[in-house]
Order: sequence, then structure tokens, then C-alpha cells
Amino acid sequence: MEEFLQQLTNGLAVGGIYALIALGYTMVYGVLKLINFAHGDLFTYGAYLGLTLLTSLALTDRLGFFMGVLVLALMVMGLVAVLGMILERAAYRPLRESPRLSAVVSALGASIFLQNTLMLIYGARFQVYPDNILPVTAFDLFGLQIPVMRVLIVLASVVMMVTLYLFIQKTKIGTAIRAAAIDQGAARLMGIDVNRVILLVFLLGPALGGAAGLMVGLYYGQINFTMGWVYGMKAFTAAILGGIGNIPGAMIGGLLLGVVEAMGAAYLSIAWKDAIAFCVLILILIVRPTGLLGERVADKI
Amino acid sequence: MKKPLLALVAVIGLVTGGVAQAADAIKIGLMAPLTGSWASEGQSMKKIVELLAKQQNAKGGVLGKQIEVVTEDDGGDPRTASLAAQRLTTQGIVAVIGTYGSSVTEATQAIYDEAGIPQIANGSTAIRLTEKGLKHFFRTAPRDDEQGRIAAQTIEKLGFKQVAVLHDSTSYAKGLADETSALLKKKGLKVVFFDALTPGERDYNAILTKLKSANPDVVLFTGYYPEAGLLLRQKRAMGWPVPFIGGDATNNPDLVKSAGQEAAEGFYFLSPPVPQDLDTPEAQAFLADYQKQYEEVPASIWAVLSGDGFRAAVAGIEGAKSTNGGKIAEYLHKSLKDYPGLSGPVSFDEKGDREGEVYRLYKVNADGKFVMQKL
Repeated sequence: MEEFLQQLTNGLAVGGIYALIALGYTMVYGVLKLINFAHGDLFTYGAYLGLTLLTSLALTDRLGFFMGVLVLALMVMGLVAVLGMILERAAYRPLRESPRLSAVVSALGASIFLQNTLMLIYGARFQVYPDNILPVTAFDLFGLQIPVMRVLIVLASVVMMVTLYLFIQKTKIGTAIRAAAIDQGAARLMGIDVNRVILLVFLLGPALGGAAGLMVGLYYGQINFTMGWVYGMKAFTAAILGGIGNIPGAMIGGLLLGVVEAMGAAYLSIAWKDAIAFCVLILILIVRPTGLLGERVADKI
Repeated sequence: MKKPLLALVAVIGLVTGGVAQAADAIKIGLMAPLTGSWASEGQSMKKIVELLAKQQNAKGGVLGKQIEVVTEDDGGDPRTASLAAQRLTTQGIVAVIGTYGSSVTEATQAIYDEAGIPQIANGSTAIRLTEKGLKHFFRTAPRDDEQGRIAAQTIEKLGFKQVAVLHDSTSYAKGLADETSALLKKKGLKVVFFDALTPGERDYNAILTKLKSANPDVVLFTGYYPEAGLLLRQKRAMGWPVPFIGGDATNNPDLVKSAGQEAAEGFYFLSPPVPQDLDTPEAQAFLADYQKQYEEVPASIWAVLSGDGFRAAVAGIEGAKSTNGGKIAEYLHKSLKDYPGLSGPVSFDEKGDREGEVYRLYKVNADGKFVMQKL
């Protein structure tokens, strides 16, 4: 039982990160029907920008741990959001009227471009966050050793996800995003500036992805320029699992994937953990081809 | 009538062009992971081989000709590597150095062998690479079974009884894990855990939690340094004090960077000596030159072994007095004995394996330095 709960917290921490990245995939897909394959690389940029800002501005020394990390997170999210916007302008907008495959190829190209730019700027060796800024303490909960950082990671991702959900559901701009996801033409006729909605989606998704990158950097320490690929793949899977285009679906899909992976590793085989996770995905897709929450096709995003 | 004549002229042009080029320089290929996950190794390999070629050329080259290094990127990936190998074989190279990673090397062996080009691999230790009877394949790295033998012996000497073995499913790491656990069982030690992690991930807490429940005295991790660093860091965050022993792929200063000094302290690993611990006069002189040229030390011993590969290739061409692949290979197999390499004397047996014992036991001290241990 103790091991089960320990593995549950392991899985939730990983899943929270997957979910944050998955939101970026699912929002873009909801509005544009495009899989933004460069999203994983924006996540990596978040990690690298976080490292650069952290070490060059010494924010945690000046403002203390919590304020420092908060300011850092806002800066990283802002910068990655701008990057996402540039990506949309440069790689996707010129292809808006082209067949969907062209945009997918453009996305793959953008991914390669971003990844290699990062390598040329920072070098091929992996980079490491300073390890003295974080509380490494663990606390004892019913006999479980839970690192404080893990709780913070899960909390931070849940807060961001809930904020996004409320923003999409309760605000006027959120309604515009949902409208554009259902029918761009009709939304345009209702006076919604669809281009601005798309731009907004490319600000929000990358901002969350960048935040996830920063959290991975802070928590695990080690970052390298290819890590966006693994996380991107997993997050993409999570988005499909939850029903792509559906925001709560991405959150649930991410958390579920993380937990399934941890449980698969714990009770079946570590080496087969990815295979187990993908088997679960296939089973769910056989039963529910649109993903867990994908039934409300008309109500995407 | 004009067209065939033109074609003939073109063919003659090509042939004489080819000959003229060959007269200018002797080309030695280098296949290295210049991009991808092992790019830091590959970049070091390139720097080392280019520096050695420059020095050799300053001494008059080989057989009175200058050496030209032709580099291709294998991306640390078997598919990219086989394409790189095909490109290299069409460029008139006499021998090829590389590469890092057994599975990557394996993808290219047959291509070079068919082309009759001697290949001297550096970071490739999987046993089966030299068990195929390929006449043109050599390696300056020791074999996994050699390392497995030393690993089992070390674990026994350090007094551990219950051993957990973790690999990462690459042919290198799994080979070493299989070999070592078989030997451990033969020695009467218990292997309480045997499984693999997925390299390239960041979170190994699920694996560590499971490892902990198997309650081992020591964990042998046969994979690479990025994962080893993360394992050590997350193990410390869990507050689990079990000692870890790594295989030679964990021998990289970035391990300590990634784990953090406190988490890395006490980590053991087996490896051929790190470049700075090489005590041959050749190595000392070369490292001094390397630092002067590039203002850093080579990424790892594996990159340095590509330098030994290059030196052996040059010695082979010189000894065979020929640029014929078959003759060079024969010379390397039979006549090259105890050639003074950077990592100690270099000789090859009839399989193309390097002879002699090269492994040492290292331990990370409190300052994050790798300290050679007496076994």
C-alpha cells in the first residue's frame, strides 16, 4: 500500500508536467486542427530561458525563493509566449489556406530548426540548473516520503490548468476561442477576429509549455536540447488520450498517463512501462475513439 | 558519334581526376556523433582526430603524403550512421575511425567491411561486434565481457551481497548487465533486481521506488551518464543512501554537474582511466597540446580512444606501406604490437579486439572529482 501511494505521487508529478504541455497541443488543435509538433521544443526553450534568467539575474537571491521563482516563471512564460507567436506568424500563418499536410510538415521543420538553434546557442552538452536554490527536504505523510518540490510541482500545474479552464469558460475572450474552435467561418461572421484568437492560442499554449519546461529544469536539474521530443511525444499522447481539442481532457489525459506509467513500472516491468502506457491508450481508443472526454465534438476546447 | 566520345572524355576525366586527388592526400574517414544526444562526444572526437592529423602532417604525413580527415555525422543514430558510412565509402577513404555507441557502430560494420575499409571503433564495447568474423573491424575500446568480469570482481571485493542491476535497453548497457549478473550469480551473490529504464526521460522516481523495495546492498547501473546523474539526484531527494556503481558510460564530468556534488559523492564507476589520469608520455604531451589548442579537456576517454584509433590507422598504413584496406587490416592484426597509444599500449588480437587490461575503479569524492581507487 505504501509503495502504491508513493508511486501514485511519482506518477502525478510526471503527469502534471505532461498535462501542462498537452494543453498547448490540444488548444492549437482545437482552433486550427493542426498538430503543432514544435510545441515540445517551445517547452525546451522554457527550460533554457529559465536557466539563463535564473543564473544571470540571480532572482532567487534578491527576492527570496518563492517570489524569485514566481517572477522567473512569469518572465519565462512571457518570453516563450512571444516565441510561440513568432512561430505562428512565420511557420503557420503563411500556410493557413494550404492543405493541412503542408502545415504539419512546416511544424516538423520548425521543430528541427528550434532544436538546432538551441544546440548552436547553448552547445550540445546538457545544462544543469544550480542545485542549491531549491528546498530538497521531504516531509512525512502517513509514512510516505514526499519531497516538497513534488507537491509544489503538482500544485503549480493544477493552479495553471484551473486558471486556464476558467479563462476559457468564463470570459468573453474564452468564449471567442471556443467559438473559433467550433466554426471559424461562423465566428468570423459574428465579428470575432479569428486571427487574433489564433494568436492568443499561440500565446497561451507556449506560455504553459514554457512554464512546464521551467518546472522540469528546476525539479530535475538536467536539461538538454533534445528533451522536448520525449516530453512532446508523451504530452501529445496525453492529449489524444483525453480527447484532442478538449482542455479538461488534456489535463486528465496527462495525469492519467503519468500515473499509468508509474504503476506499469511498479507492478509490471520498468522496461515495458512505455509499452504498457501505449497499450492503455490503444484500449481506451478502441472503446472511445474520440478519447476520454472527446464526445463533445461540437464543444471542442 | 559525338555523345559516346563525350562520355569517354568524361570518364577519363573522372578517372584521372580521382588519381590526381589520391596523389594529393591520404584520406582517413571519421564517423562521429556531431549532432544528437552524444554530440559532445562527437565534437571531442573531431577535435582530437583533427589535432592528431595536423600534428602528423607537420611531421610529414604518412607514406610521404598529407593526411586529410573526412568527417561525417552519424547523429548517434544507427540509421543516420549507415547513410554516413555509405557516403564515406564513396569518398576514397583508406580507413575510418568511429564511432561512439555499439548499436550505432553495428549499423555500419558490414558497409565498411564490404568496401574493404578498415574500421577502428572507439566507444563501442558490445561483445558481438567482434564475433562476426569481420576482417576489417577493430576497436580501441575494451569489450563488455572484460568490463563485466571486472564489475563482478569489484562488487565481490567491496563486500556487497545483494545486487540490483539496472540497464537502459541499449545493446551496450544490456550486454554489460547480462554479463555481470551471470558472473555475480556464479560467484554466489544474489541479483535481487534486474530491469531497464528508458533513457532520455527526466523522472526516474518510479524506478527508484521499485528498486528500493527490492532492498539491495548496491545498485549496478550499466547505462549512460545523463541518466546516472538523474538517478543519483533523485535517490538523494528520496533520502535513500544505497551505493551505486556505474559502468564506463557514466565516466563523464557532466555526471557530477547533473547529480549535484552531494548526490554524486561516493558514486563508484568502472572505466578505462580518464584522460587526465593517463600517464603515458604520449598522452601527457597530447593532452597539453589539446588544452593549448581548444582550452578544454576532451569530453571523455571514449573520445581519446578515437585518437588511439587514428594513431593505429596511421601506424597501419605506414607499417603495411600501402593504402590497401586488406593489407592494413592484416598489419594491424598481426604486426602491430604494443604500439604506444594515448591510453597505453595498443595491440589487436585476431578478432580485432584490443588486448590488455584497461579498466580502473573510480570513486567520486566530496568535491565531485573522480579519484582512481586501488582494487
